[in-house]
Formats: sequence, C-alpha cells, structure tokens
Amino acid sequence: MLVEELQNIKSDKTVDARGTACPGPLLAAKKAIGEIKSGEVMEILSSDEGTKKDIPKWAMKKGHEYLGTIEESGYFIIYMKKN
Amino acid sequence: MENKKMTLALFSGSLDKLTAAGIILSGAAADDMQIDVFVLLQGARAFKKEFAKDKNELQLAENAHLREEFLQSLKKLNVNEWYEFFQQAKEITNVKIHICGLAGKIWGAEKLEDFIDLADDIVGIGEYITAAEEADVHLFI
Repeated sequence: MLVEELQNIKSDKTVDARGTACPGPLLAAKKAIGEIKSGEVMEILSSDEGTKKDIPKWAMKKGHEYLGTIEESGYFIIYMKKN
Repeated sequence: MENKKMTLALFSGSLDKLTAAGIILSGAAADDMQIDVFVLLQGARAFKKEFAKDKNELQLAENAHLREEFLQSLKKLNVNEWYEFFQQAKEITNVKIHICGLAGKIWGAEKLEDFIDLADDIVGIGEYITAAEEADVHLFI
C-alpha cells in the first residue's frame, strides 16, 4: 500500500512496543492479534530495527496480510490485517 | 496449518547463552511452535531454585571481563531476565522443559522440586533423542 493509503487507515488496535527490544515487539504483536477479529487492522509501533522485517514475515507466515510500514522519526509503524 | 516442533538442547548454564536461548524460544513461541527444551549438564545447575535468579552464581560464556557492561546494557534495553523469557514462552505456546536426570544429580538436585517452577519433568537421554528425531528445528546451545 502507498504511504498515503496507510496513513488513512483507521486501525482497530494500536500496539505501542517502542522502548522494548527484540523480541518484545514481536511478542506484543502476537498477543494483540489474538484480541482482534478477522478482517480488522492492527498497527504496531516499534523502534527496534529488527522488527521491521520480523513482523511482516511473521504476519505472512501466520496467514495474515501485511499492509505496509510507515517511517516516523525514531520509530516506525507496521500495519497488518488479521486473516 | 500444523504447528512445527522445535527441540532445544540447553547445555549451557551461562547468563549470556540462557538469554539467547530465551530469545530464540520467544521467536518460536510467536510462531506457535511446539517446543521441548532439554536442560543438560551446566544448564541444570542454572535451573536449580537457589541459583536461577542469582546473577552472582551465573557466569558469562564469552567475554567474561565485560560482564558489567553486558548486564547494564540488558537493563538499559529493557531486556527480560532469562527465566522471564522462558516463562513468557510457556504462556504463549506449548513449551515443555525437561531436566536431565544425571545433570541434576551432578549438582545435587534429585527431585523436580529442586528446580524452578519452569521445569516440567526429569528425563533420560532417550527422550531427548526421540524429540530431536521428530523436530523440525533442532538446536544445541
């Protein structure tokens, strides 16, 4: 998805995992995905560089849809849709 | 999708390797893997009730002279204690922690109660080999 499209997404859940190192954001995402319904969108805020590849890969492996990532200053936001 | 299996032979009882093992377990837990940890020789000592949470009892496997720097960095980065990673993984997925019977005896621990609550049972080497044969991922730390 384009950055503009991602910015317009209204997420059903926001997970702020900034301030935790690997594997914190991944585990936070794993926990939160169980709390939303199929078709809902979740955004994960992280400042851990490794997460940028980890979470999209994990999302796809688990059959969810990875929508994209937006870079902010000092952190980034990963969007995914639950299958 | 059937859950994959991971077997981890945890020989080391050092703080750095236990931390690495905990992080690997976390990744496997995020993938819903079924995990069997076999705690072998040095590992069994670290799993004893009186030592597990006592940093003075656990050494670093490498760069022992940088111990303080290592511990301070972990703290600054908000990294869990090694046993917290194990605990967390158990809450997420099916993790069984097996203590090697001989290793326990070497360190004077004969019963399951001698180890921290994370330990599920005391086993022989046959269990480990069987689990390793069936595992999709097999690691030795």
